[in-house]
Amino acid sequence: MTFSGELLAFLCLALVAVIGGVLLLNLTKVVHMVVALVFTFISLAGIYVLLSAEFVAVVQVLIYSGAITIIMLFGIMLTRHNDTSEPKGGALKKIFLFLGVLGFGVAVYIGIYNLDFNPQATTLHENNTEQIGMALYSKYIIPFELTSVLLLVALIGAIILAKNDNKKEADKE
Amino acid sequence: MIEGLLHDQASLLNFVIFFVLAAVLLLVILGFVTYAILAERKVMGFMQMRYGPNQVGGPWGLLQTVADVLKLLLKEDTIPKLADKPLFILAPVIAFAPSFMVVATIPFTDKLQFADIGVGLLYYIAVSGLTTIGVVMAGWSSNNKFALLGGMRAAAQMISYEIPLVMSVLGVILLTGSLNLNEIVAAQENVWYILLQPIGFIVFFIASVAELNRIPFDLPEAENELIAGYFVEYSGFRWAFFMLSEYVYMFAMASLTTVLFLGGWLPLFSFLDFIPGAVWFALKFSLVIFILLWFRSTFPRIKADQLMEFGWKVLLPVALANIFLTAIIKELL
Repeated sequence: MTFSGELLAFLCLALVAVIGGVLLLNLTKVVHMVVALVFTFISLAGIYVLLSAEFVAVVQVLIYSGAITIIMLFGIMLTRHNDTSEPKGGALKKIFLFLGVLGFGVAVYIGIYNLDFNPQATTLHENNTEQIGMALYSKYIIPFELTSVLLLVALIGAIILAKNDNKKEADKE
Repeated sequence: MIEGLLHDQASLLNFVIFFVLAAVLLLVILGFVTYAILAERKVMGFMQMRYGPNQVGGPWGLLQTVADVLKLLLKEDTIPKLADKPLFILAPVIAFAPSFMVVATIPFTDKLQFADIGVGLLYYIAVSGLTTIGVVMAGWSSNNKFALLGGMRAAAQMISYEIPLVMSVLGVILLTGSLNLNEIVAAQENVWYILLQPIGFIVFFIASVAELNRIPFDLPEAENELIAGYFVEYSGFRWAFFMLSEYVYMFAMASLTTVLFLGGWLPLFSFLDFIPGAVWFALKFSLVIFILLWFRSTFPRIKADQLMEFGWKVLLPVALANIFLTAIIKELL
């Protein structure tokens, strides 16, 4: 096996992603958890680059850097400064959790072990963005449009919820 | 050369070569930052009818910034007792690293570029957004009201001005048909985009000043209301890192403006092409920097609510209209 830079990069990124995930679950302060999440998302973007999906990688960073900042703001605004979450649950819960993790691991292992991808296209990295655009606007146009409608509904729903709340408060006063 | 290196076997030699290249770039940028700060003080001084630094290093104060930096490095490094220590230490790193990462993708001339990424423009915008996280972290971990307010303002401002920034460059992308910065420059061979996309340029320039947190949009660090905003508790070297990242962004943003709208390294007229591209780039780049300094010494700071209204109700619709217009023009021509 040749030890290429790609493998090295993959190992580092995967390690950071996994450590970020584990820290996200184990840290107690909400802002610390969000910072752990940042590391996970950025290393996932790095893994996309290794898979020659540079457009997806950049969009991952673009979307999640904003999203994480918002999560962090909510974390700051909705919790007290020194709030920490304490681990709950007894030994029984831990055993079940362990069994669940083990079961998931076995299922994934069985699923992946004999997985055979058909011979892959080797030109994916050439004009990556253009290819994504072509596919989105020709083959997958209806799902794409439906997604945008779904997002619009979510947006309007959020605005209506926020507005209603304001009116009631004003009425009370 | 870099392309070849990237596809080589990983070896210690490659690592050393990359490391040295990055170190050289860092030194160049540090040199720029040193003299950008001096230029800022000098230009502001002349615009306000005073001299600016004129003692250290001759009548032009050429060594003033060097002396300031030395002073900063010798300062005591304080961490507040009630600060969140790990985040307090990590925040300047997270704020600075992206600012240096974005410089890698900018083409200074057709030969001088570190990473020729297919989605270069998006990469710049995406990675520069990461700094916000460092700023919010700094604001929160300092455990100080003013710092937290500054961090919150920075987050709100940077997220709301990132949208018009992206929308305003869409016109350029539409006309070029590529996100690659080299191809964007190549497409300006005949006409620069500042002439084809005047509305896009104005929106981009305003949004970029806001992203740089400079006057008139410097609310996150407004000296006279928040003391210094998110870095109020920082001192010495860590504080220097925040300042450094700000000026590196100024370098990067001015370069990006040059590349996107002013034709990068292309000469003004084709008969002037005996002057090397690097000189052209430097001239245009200096012009953009000068305009940024000019803004700083002539505009008052705007209020927080005006800032949000301006971003969402003026810049965003104008940018969207510009995309619409560009698409129509492109179809017609």
